[in-house]
Amino acid sequence: MSLLITFLTTLKNFVKLQDGNGLRSWLLIESNVSESYYQLSRELKSGFQNSSAIEKLVDKCLPEEDDVPEGMGSPYPGFNTFIREYLEYWRDVDFNDVVNIHARVSGLLISCANALAHPTYGIMLLQTSMSLSESLSKLVMQLNREPRLLAQIQGGSYGVESGERKSIVELAADIIQKIFTACLTDRSSTRDSVPKGKKVAVYLFANLTLKLLFACDKSRLAVQMFTNLSSSGPLLSLYPASQRVTFLYYLGRFNFDHCHYLRAHWSFEEAYRQCPPRFMKHRRQILTYWIPSSLLMGRFPSQTLLQRPEARGFADIFIPICAAVRTGNFVAFQNAMAQNKDWLWAKGLYLTLLQRLKPLVWRSFTRKTFLLTSQQDDASGQFSSNNRAPALALQDLVTTASYVQRLLEGYLPARPAPRARPAPHINTIFLKAVTNSAAAEGAESNSTLAPPPGGPRQLMPSEGLIFANQKPTIDKVEGIVAGLVYAGLLNGFIARQQRKFAIEGAKKQGGNAVRAGWPNPYGSIMERFREDYEESMSLYETDDGDPPGDFDDVPGWVRHV
Amino acid sequence: MASASSSSKNEAKPAEAKQPEQAPVTEQKTAAALEEDDEFEDFPVDDWPAEETEAANGSEGTQHLWEESWDDDDTSDDFSAQLKEELKKVEASKKR
Repeated sequence: MSLLITFLTTLKNFVKLQDGNGLRSWLLIESNVSESYYQLSRELKSGFQNSSAIEKLVDKCLPEEDDVPEGMGSPYPGFNTFIREYLEYWRDVDFNDVVNIHARVSGLLISCANALAHPTYGIMLLQTSMSLSESLSKLVMQLNREPRLLAQIQGGSYGVESGERKSIVELAADIIQKIFTACLTDRSSTRDSVPKGKKVAVYLFANLTLKLLFACDKSRLAVQMFTNLSSSGPLLSLYPASQRVTFLYYLGRFNFDHCHYLRAHWSFEEAYRQCPPRFMKHRRQILTYWIPSSLLMGRFPSQTLLQRPEARGFADIFIPICAAVRTGNFVAFQNAMAQNKDWLWAKGLYLTLLQRLKPLVWRSFTRKTFLLTSQQDDASGQFSSNNRAPALALQDLVTTASYVQRLLEGYLPARPAPRARPAPHINTIFLKAVTNSAAAEGAESNSTLAPPPGGPRQLMPSEGLIFANQKPTIDKVEGIVAGLVYAGLLNGFIARQQRKFAIEGAKKQGGNAVRAGWPNPYGSIMERFREDYEESMSLYETDDGDPPGDFDDVPGWVRHV
Repeated sequence: MASASSSSKNEAKPAEAKQPEQAPVTEQKTAAALEEDDEFEDFPVDDWPAEETEAANGSEGTQHLWEESWDDDDTSDDFSAQLKEELKKVEASKKR
């Protein structure tokens, strides 16, 4: 008996027994298989160049049964088509040609997904679908890192559909999501009962899709999947812990990438809580994004957290950033970011933190300016010693902000000109000239700083306090304070006539204007989210839009049905 | 789920076929490179009891991991001293 017939006969037995693991362990496609597969390949090459010959043989060895006993299975047309394509794969495969393999594995997985859709017997291909999806993902990730090969694929006609060209990542994700949808819509179990049938694999395929999308920087393509899960997905809590943690990790990453830091924080928090300490590498990966999410929500990592083994090295990165935010020191903030730029950049955190932590630095900076200027008025530290409402003069903020902008531009402390020596050397004269002119300019601009020799540094947009070398004028500073008030980080209003930020609620805080004007940042940010939520609730009550769900809903995370 | 036991009984199984999780050498290299960067590896086990995790401590389990009150009231540091000097100098120049 030829190897091919033996192979098909064995498959028939697996089908009869509905043995999904058996099918998976035989329907292999990667190059590291036993010699038998290569022998099978040679047999196909020599005797089955004509595909209709393969089709005939497959149909002969895998006939569709009419009378199938309970609990047993039978081949069906979709299954046989998949097996024919599988044999064609082994007949034509060239493991040196990755581009060709990619096209064939894609085709094979589509065929497998079609066969999986069979309502009665499709489920026996669940494990094979999984392993083929994993193989395709690996291939796509590999190709995505090799622009030359990628160009070969995308330069061809592959992926052109009605004039729209999709990337290979998108195409692979589409195929895997098709399987995900087949699992999601399986009716063997309800959303809140123990998963049965293809439903057992909903989160396995979701995680596989997410892994592929994140490895290729295409996380935005996950939107549809999360929407589908929200509307018809089974409870996440019904699935094994490894699938839950992996899913929540990617859900957190998705929300982080799409600037929803509260949802990211909730997802990472739950992923971390459900991940035992023995999986240190996984916990570290979660922390890598949970710490930045929390920072953006106004919470700093505690010593307890930073001392955990999975946080090794994170203190060196995050403590300087937190210290700079705490003191409102923009120069220290930029230095702290620059110090670990490579790591932060590689994790996709650099620009996000650089841009989005700035409001918190400004919050501390305005607070510090208020502390310094109100101390000038009243050394006792009590801000309610007179009847005037406590306020921060915007002009004072212009003074401190201008000072910081000058530091960023490389200005140096201005010193009085040194006394001339009797026999000056040419260099001494030069230095004296520079220092004198610096001191003179410093005096002119009423600053303790003077421009550096060679003039102020030209800054990149993100390097300046506001934008590159823009000066912090009173209008700009007022705009920033207004933004902080709007964000809930400052409590008060702008008295435009007086050009002041007037603090509200100092009496309620026992006369402590600082506590009243600069409320707890985490609390304020959460409060702002709640206000937004209540606004959408009241909009829903007046209009007939979609209900906004619970406050802590994260789209895609099925916690209740 | 179907059982794997039947496959072992079959005499015609291609000899020592490896499991699909084992990738060819070139692909393993790619995977290793990914692990160093961003890949969230597959867990070696499928499930574990909640008692092994911090979720077992209830909803307050991770509160101590974060600092919510971190404001800095110290105005004696260098940065504050520099700002104070600057404010003083600008104030003095206005009075001139």
